[in-house]
Amino acid sequence: MTALQRDAPAARAGGPDKGQPLLRVRDLSVAYEGSVAPTPAGVSFDVSAGEVVLVLGPSGSGKSTLALALNGLIPHDVPAEVTGTVQVGGLDTVGNPVSRLSTHVAMVFQDPDAQLVTGTLLDEVAFGPENLRLPVEEVLARAESALRRVGLWNLRHTNPDRLSGGGRQRLAIACALAMGSPLLVLDEPTANLDPNGIEDFYAALGELAAAGDRAIVLIEHNLDAAVGFVDRVLVLDHDGRLVADGSVDDVLRRGADELHAMGVWLPTSALAALRLRRAGLHLEPLPLTPDELREALDADPATPPDAERAEFSPAVAAHARPPHAVAERAQRDEAPTRRPLVQVRRLTLRRGRATVLHDVDLDIREGDFVAVIGANGAGKTTLVQAIAGVVRPPRGTIRIGDLDVGRADSRTLSARVGFVFQNPEHQFIAHTVFDELAHGLRLRHVPEDDVRARTEALLDRFGLRDKAATHPFRLSGGQKRRLSVGTALAGAALDGGAPLLVLDEPTFGQDRARADEILSLLRDLNAEGTTIVVVTHDMQLVTEYADRTVILRDGRVAAAGDTADLFADAELIRGAGLRRPPLSRAFDGLTSHPGLAGIARLADLPDGTA
Amino acid sequence: MSDHARLELTDAAAAASAPTTGPVVDPYAGPVTHSPVRFLYDLNPLAKIFAPLPAMVMLVFVRDVQTPLAFIALTAVVLLIGVRFTRGLVALLIGVPAFGAVIALGFALWTDAGLVDDTAPVVQLGGWTLYGGALEIGLATGLRIAAIVVLAFIAGLSTTGPDLVRATVQQLRVPYRIGYTALAAFRFVPRFRHELEIIRQAHRVRGAHGGRGPFTAVARWAGYIVPLLAGAIRHAERVALAMDARAFGAHPDRTERHLVPFRTRDTVFLVAFWIMSALVFWLFFPWGLS
Repeated sequence: MTALQRDAPAARAGGPDKGQPLLRVRDLSVAYEGSVAPTPAGVSFDVSAGEVVLVLGPSGSGKSTLALALNGLIPHDVPAEVTGTVQVGGLDTVGNPVSRLSTHVAMVFQDPDAQLVTGTLLDEVAFGPENLRLPVEEVLARAESALRRVGLWNLRHTNPDRLSGGGRQRLAIACALAMGSPLLVLDEPTANLDPNGIEDFYAALGELAAAGDRAIVLIEHNLDAAVGFVDRVLVLDHDGRLVADGSVDDVLRRGADELHAMGVWLPTSALAALRLRRAGLHLEPLPLTPDELREALDADPATPPDAERAEFSPAVAAHARPPHAVAERAQRDEAPTRRPLVQVRRLTLRRGRATVLHDVDLDIREGDFVAVIGANGAGKTTLVQAIAGVVRPPRGTIRIGDLDVGRADSRTLSARVGFVFQNPEHQFIAHTVFDELAHGLRLRHVPEDDVRARTEALLDRFGLRDKAATHPFRLSGGQKRRLSVGTALAGAALDGGAPLLVLDEPTFGQDRARADEILSLLRDLNAEGTTIVVVTHDMQLVTEYADRTVILRDGRVAAAGDTADLFADAELIRGAGLRRPPLSRAFDGLTSHPGLAGIARLADLPDGTA
Repeated sequence: MSDHARLELTDAAAAASAPTTGPVVDPYAGPVTHSPVRFLYDLNPLAKIFAPLPAMVMLVFVRDVQTPLAFIALTAVVLLIGVRFTRGLVALLIGVPAFGAVIALGFALWTDAGLVDDTAPVVQLGGWTLYGGALEIGLATGLRIAAIVVLAFIAGLSTTGPDLVRATVQQLRVPYRIGYTALAAFRFVPRFRHELEIIRQAHRVRGAHGGRGPFTAVARWAGYIVPLLAGAIRHAERVALAMDARAFGAHPDRTERHLVPFRTRDTVFLVAFWIMSALVFWLFFPWGLS
């Protein structure tokens, strides 16, 4: 391995005696200015050469703060009160500048765009070593070795802008490798990537972990992808304390119940297995990946297929659809009275020279929860933007009820349909939360008393009552998201028609807790009668929440129908450039347990406690 | 080996799904391959900026037609030899004088007829006369602007953003922290353009600041500033963290893989261009003192 030889000097510089850990954290607490309690709080751990460590914890446990503290960005660049010590390669992070620490610990951040400085991949990877004043030959040698390791050497003269998100994050790994540091810290590296990008990224990171020459500290909520190559798991609790530190088997497989209760997101397969255990199945050890789940089910001798089927089917019938919205929806589905709300007829849309949508026909019924999915560039966002009138469709192609979207002015339109953009900040226009919610009502000259009453109802509905006088930009991330849904809905319910809410990737770039929060909000709204259309990349989300799905492929509707039916068709999903959700993959080709075949959502699994 | 082969294959995938929102002009574009005759690419960016600079300044004070015309011709020759012959270059060499002609006509119409009513009338419409003198003033103005623009393209067509930054750091002794931060800031431009577009859409959907007229327009744009700035500051902070994490600013200087030397040929080009400029001004002496 020439790469190892080249990096050897850097590794030697890292620590004179071999027994010393690369990273030593002792009683670390970090408090930002104005925060009540420090997170993380009193955390101690070591990381040795070659270890792959996954850091888990619920939202607000201080995982990202920990990452920034490991290479000295806290407290040098981000002011915060730090107690305890962090040593990398024997250097104290408070007493040494970030630049010196950077040869001992390298970082990969969440946003691929915010890590680019130069104009070609080669220059980008060379940027760090150049800053270290290494000789030119050494810079080039490191750059080549790093780019080859992530498989980007052939594109070295390309502008990083030309890469996909996954490609840019792979480039970020190469940049970190080129620093020559024996430890890599990755802070939610896939949060801004689509499923293809995540797979692409983890193909590169997995090979790096397998090579074993770098220690990796990975902060990640997408466990489905990461769990395959992790050696060790650290868990922070809500208060930022370290509550678990051990192998994947010890922490994830044996402690899954407690982690789940704490609000830590587990791999979908593990969640499914926990549920199935409660239903009486014997799944030991706890499976963490779709493949493991399938094997565990097939190997489970406790219930022979015949007996199990008999006892299982009623369980599915009784518990699969819990007593809330899902069951109601199932009944509504069968009712013939469900009226069409949105009608798309022969919609063709161009952007510039490219035709983005070809001859699209689509019906959305009142009260549907519709997911629009498809590969990158399939036209998902354009379609929903046209439905909401964000981009103007040709006249007569889209109707919401009796309203022609192509003819309606924006005020009339915003009384029928609310559109929620990916970044909530983009649509805030008022100076207080109250005015923000009242804006749509005042625009239509609703009497002020009425405005007050309705707005206060909305404040309560979205849990923002005590924030009424706050500037929207000062809200927390989750509150901003709720407010953006609230403002979109405030107008949409107005003219008496059924409200329609359209959301563009509402969970993109968010952690699981926030994603869950927004989705349960949407489910509640849907149960109250709001028709919901979401664009998303998250297949498990689609199967969990949407009762109908539209699959776009190259600007055409490849399929539209009941979510379960569509996801049962593996050929269709693959053909559209999509991946099936983990549960479908696990239960596909299952030889035992026929009762599970075709189940794609966790809520449909039998659950002993329900 | 097979691992590498597999990963290299995904290159195509990584590049294929590239976003199409790239900048129209790529400030980071690498050096173009060129034949040795195309000498401008091999010159120091500073030489290419400072060579036409005196002429550009002097042209501001020129009032005749011949001098700017001479400079346009001179620059055209330099560009035709010095940079690759592309459709863009042709469009430029035709387009800029055409643009100058439009300006010429505009200025001709604006010129106070009282100043030039002793010259020959060219067009007469009823009581209104376009005098030859007005046309000449307009032409001179248009050509002047065209000449200045064309001169600027000597550096503009043959210089890359990174090379310009390197030259300012290496020769002008601009601190590299400033130079490279400026380079990183180029990346912000397309990003903000995209972000502004989304913000405008979002506000339009909300029915914000509907209506027409200059005051609503001002209110509308003021409403875009807060979200745009909030996004910009956050983005800039993240970029700064990422650069610091890669040891940016660790040492008083940094390794330069690409030296952009100031060589004899740069001096020759610089001095030759200055002499040519002086010669043009001396020949045409456009200040009418004779």
